[in-house]
Amino acid sequence: MSAKTKEQKYKAPKQHVNWKVYLKRYWQLYALLFLPMAYLLLFRYVPMRYVIIAFKKYSIVQKIGEMPWAKNHGMQYFIQAFHNKDFINALRNTVMLNLLDLVVGFPIPIIFALILNELPFKRFKKTVQTIAYMPHFLSWVIIYGLAIQLFTPTNGLVNMFIEKLGGEAVPFLNEPTHWVATYIFLGVWQSFGWNSIVYLAAIAGISPELYEAASVDGAGRFSKIWHITLPGIRGTIVTLLVMALGNIIGSGFDRPFALANNLVMKYGEVISTFVYKNGIKGLQFSLTTAVGLFQSVVGVFFLLFANWLARKLGERGIW
Amino acid sequence: MKKKVLALVLACTMVFSMAACGKETPAPEGETKPEEVVTDNTDTEADTEVEAEPEVVSELTDGKFAETRHITVEVYDRGNDGGSDPTNNMYTEYIKKGMLEDHNVEVEFVAVPRWTETEEINNLLAAGTAPDICLTYSYPTIQTYANMGGVLDLNQYLEQYRSELNNLYDWLGDTNIYWNQDDETKTIWAIEGKRANSRRILTFVRQDWLDQLNLKEPTNKKEFYDTICAFRDNADTLLGGDAKKMVPFSVSYDVGWRAALLIESNIDPKITDKEYYCNGFDDRKLTQNGTKEAIRTLNAWYNEGLLWKDFALYSSGDSNEDDMMKAGYVGAFQHNWDYPFRNGEDSIQANLARLVGEDAKFVAVDCFENSDGVTLKYVDSTAGDRKIFFPSTNDEPLASMLYLDWISAPEHVQYLQIGDEGVTHNVLSDGAIETVAAEGDAIMNSGNNIDLTITCNGLRLMDENLTVLSAAHGYANCDPADVQKAIAYAEANMKHSINVKTGEIKAEDGMGEALSAKRDIVYDTAVVAAPADFDKVWDDAIADYLASGGQAIIDERTSAWEKVYGDSTSVK
Repeated sequence: MSAKTKEQKYKAPKQHVNWKVYLKRYWQLYALLFLPMAYLLLFRYVPMRYVIIAFKKYSIVQKIGEMPWAKNHGMQYFIQAFHNKDFINALRNTVMLNLLDLVVGFPIPIIFALILNELPFKRFKKTVQTIAYMPHFLSWVIIYGLAIQLFTPTNGLVNMFIEKLGGEAVPFLNEPTHWVATYIFLGVWQSFGWNSIVYLAAIAGISPELYEAASVDGAGRFSKIWHITLPGIRGTIVTLLVMALGNIIGSGFDRPFALANNLVMKYGEVISTFVYKNGIKGLQFSLTTAVGLFQSVVGVFFLLFANWLARKLGERGIW
Repeated sequence: MKKKVLALVLACTMVFSMAACGKETPAPEGETKPEEVVTDNTDTEADTEVEAEPEVVSELTDGKFAETRHITVEVYDRGNDGGSDPTNNMYTEYIKKGMLEDHNVEVEFVAVPRWTETEEINNLLAAGTAPDICLTYSYPTIQTYANMGGVLDLNQYLEQYRSELNNLYDWLGDTNIYWNQDDETKTIWAIEGKRANSRRILTFVRQDWLDQLNLKEPTNKKEFYDTICAFRDNADTLLGGDAKKMVPFSVSYDVGWRAALLIESNIDPKITDKEYYCNGFDDRKLTQNGTKEAIRTLNAWYNEGLLWKDFALYSSGDSNEDDMMKAGYVGAFQHNWDYPFRNGEDSIQANLARLVGEDAKFVAVDCFENSDGVTLKYVDSTAGDRKIFFPSTNDEPLASMLYLDWISAPEHVQYLQIGDEGVTHNVLSDGAIETVAAEGDAIMNSGNNIDLTITCNGLRLMDENLTVLSAAHGYANCDPADVQKAIAYAEANMKHSINVKTGEIKAEDGMGEALSAKRDIVYDTAVVAAPADFDKVWDDAIADYLASGGQAIIDERTSAWEKVYGDSTSVK
């Protein structure tokens, strides 16, 4: 705000002209920008006014303005959520599964990109890359179908194989701890190829002269990776890490919903499935809006914190 | 220049697409439906019609509206393989035509997926687009809508239009119509569809396996256990190369239903009405005394390899378990009394005959006795089945009531249930109606079209004797003797439920779905626990269920009972 007034003070008239000039000169580009902006406004910002449901007693027939305020100065549903041990459990599971995803899933695309980058055969590289990112396009329902075929205790292919070798069936899907491992594994399998694309692009942007100079200096393959490639993509890594941290309390719906079953609900219930079960199915819209709002606000704090940390460490962060 | 034109075209496209989007985004405050504008020339506002209703009966001349009215009616979509379009087939056409001719009411059907009906109806109600006539199996759900003002009180309309509703009253009777009436406020949020019969659940065993192993039909729990053990131990004989796929006794994730007879056999036969009611919120009897011991038995069976190890991995509506039954891997199961006979060509019975052999089939057995030695069946009364309600967006209450009346008329029910002679049924020499497999548009998506005869669940012919005579012939491709046996067992030793009128239990509000999900978790985790851990797993899971709202419901039910019935433990 203050920067703006400052600018206005000194170059207000010129700025004004500039704006019009720019619009006239580049109006085609602005016209193209219109649709995405309108999309954001209409589908991301306009619905936000309905967060007020979290503070009101929801009714399917009344308009938003007509609904009475919730008890305890509108905070009734937040209090109710934090007294609800199922919510606390879902919160814990969300953070746990996302942290595991981060720890296991974050480095793998980087490593994969580094390995691909070292491959000398272009065609082979392309093929591997394509195959690796294909699972990204499968829906979670299909992946669960595959998981059922592979991992069920009686008819799963993997378990049949283990039993043929004289082992005992592993409860990949029906025992909570094993399920968490399966969940993480499937998540990594589905996304590492896709996530590596952005790293490969960043690697491609590193000047080849650096590698040539390093070769002249006698650097080996690993020192080139360590001293040139990794520092070259550090900015990208940090940006993606910041975004991943911002999402640590968020959760997609499809994956936990499709993969979970009654036997693993101890770990399988996350915030999004909790919201679905209690909100959409149980009609407790106020409670679940409160939960969603809480989730978003905490997510924003995580994002700000991670960004602040990134800048402290000398990186650009995401803005 | 070219660039400019292109940009202009693109920009215009965007603006138009935005405009189009804008129209499609739900207008939350716009209440008038387009149809109303067309059909309701006299009323511009939806509200005025409701207020003008005191003289509404005179709106009808010979039961007909002067101007065509339009109503929407919910119909389940069961997603059957090769079924007909649930909203547009021979039978829906019959209804549409009849309603238009008799009452000048246009009927439109709205398909709601049977296995996710609650979610779907929630969404439709929240969007203000719910059908004018809705049905669901879950009363707590209706109560929740009603508390939000989302449901019409049917009492006023029933009183007002009584003279037009003779078929409805004749069929449902006061019992079902006033079943849900609040004694104090007199409100009726839903009327109860009626079961034409009270048959509920049965145990089925593979007859050909019994024969192969020279076993007799089990008549008590011990014999049943021995039978399924014999299936397991002789898997090689019975299934050969597929021996590993054998499931001696099959349950699904819904243990409370699929082992209901086992659970109910553990309930004390002398249980009082009060106890049964106070612990009875869960329709799978989770919190009844005795259930734990039943699940302990099931847990032992699971750990002895008598159950399907993967049962909890498949959720509602999944066909894997049915496919195993059809392929002949399952020895015994409990399910709806007619489950193996349902669906004509695609029934379990027909598949078994096709895939395994002519003699392969399931037969009903009756072997879960309680401590009195009686194979008691806890069945609902004529109510307790589907509930019909009108959402508050219904602005055609009279036309909707007339629909309920029309759909309850004996001749209409009969046609919808048996269809045309030679197409969906044959008449046998003794007059009995024999169902035959139909094709195309004439396929009934539910047995006897019960999804369309919403006030009547089960076969109901105009001649009662004929109904009894035809019951066993109601399933295409099935031996009537097998069906007759199932009927006999299903009707043996019935205990009908009673109507406890304690008014609304506030603690139940909005808890139906969450607690049902929890209930399944309790059952499933307890069944798969190691036998040594069973007590701990069960107790922890039940404590969790009770803490999540189960206990509050039991407490409120208890105090509500005491308020109405005092110290008495029975409703009488």
